[in-house]
Amino acid sequence: MSEEILFDCLHAEIVNYCLDSNKENDLATLEYIGFTTGYRLIERLTREVARFKDELETMKFICTDFWTLIYKKQVDNLRTNNHGMYVVQDKSFRFLTRISPGTKQLEHAPKFVAFTCGLVRGAISNLGINSTVTAEVQSIPACKFHIEVNRS
Amino acid sequence: MTIFNLYIFDKCGTLMHYAEWNRTKKSGITREEEAKLTYGMLFSIKSFVSKISPYDPREGFLYYKTNRYALHYLETPSGLKFVLNTDTTAINVKELLQQLYAKIWVEYVVRDPLWMPGTVVTSELFQSKLDEFIKQSPIFGIRNI
Repeated sequence: MSEEILFDCLHAEIVNYCLDSNKENDLATLEYIGFTTGYRLIERLTREVARFKDELETMKFICTDFWTLIYKKQVDNLRTNNHGMYVVQDKSFRFLTRISPGTKQLEHAPKFVAFTCGLVRGAISNLGINSTVTAEVQSIPACKFHIEVNRS
Repeated sequence: MTIFNLYIFDKCGTLMHYAEWNRTKKSGITREEEAKLTYGMLFSIKSFVSKISPYDPREGFLYYKTNRYALHYLETPSGLKFVLNTDTTAINVKELLQQLYAKIWVEYVVRDPLWMPGTVVTSELFQSKLDEFIKQSPIFGIRNI
């Protein structure tokens, strides 16, 4: 309980700190903080895990173990088109559960999902998958993350 | 048993939130004036109680009763004040207020990243959770005034 509130408050302050100084509502800094965090974190989390068979295995790991360790729950839905597009759905996303589900608050939603986009991108990047991660919030506290694998 | 209304003040005496359920008699003055009056009275009672007590007061002022209602008072170490008016037969209100503080205030106000400390609470999520919490409490009960 206490460590959860610490993470929540720290995250909220990082969001404020990153966005107060720039006027353009630039989420890049926030995303980058998430990226480096995810990149380092996955190293520690996978130290006792067997190698992943394929890309889908990796995504499944992100949706179950990785999510549980950070957000204390699994994602509600994982979908893929088998061509490198994955949609991860969390119906009650941790950073949005304390925010009122109104349209006014919906404008603020992108701020609270940017870090997680980076976190996911960083984690799978260290597992050898280059990707673009975006998020979509239609109604608080549900959130969808779109992971697009960059093949070259 | 029933619950009439609730005031939440911060340490400076600002009314952070007000909610009412089965209140039948209005004060006839504005919400701000009423809050000031209530806070002033509580402030006086608090200092009166601590001065007049023949023992070293541990918890200080907890509640008072008239023949029609009871006012319950919970002050947190941070100076936040929860004031709940119930009818005179209500029991375990202190526990209820403590739960309200821990499960509703801390969860939906303190942990709301859009709330700035020291400002009035506008979160609809908090309001609906508070309403649900009060209505589910055994004290809320059936109206018999």
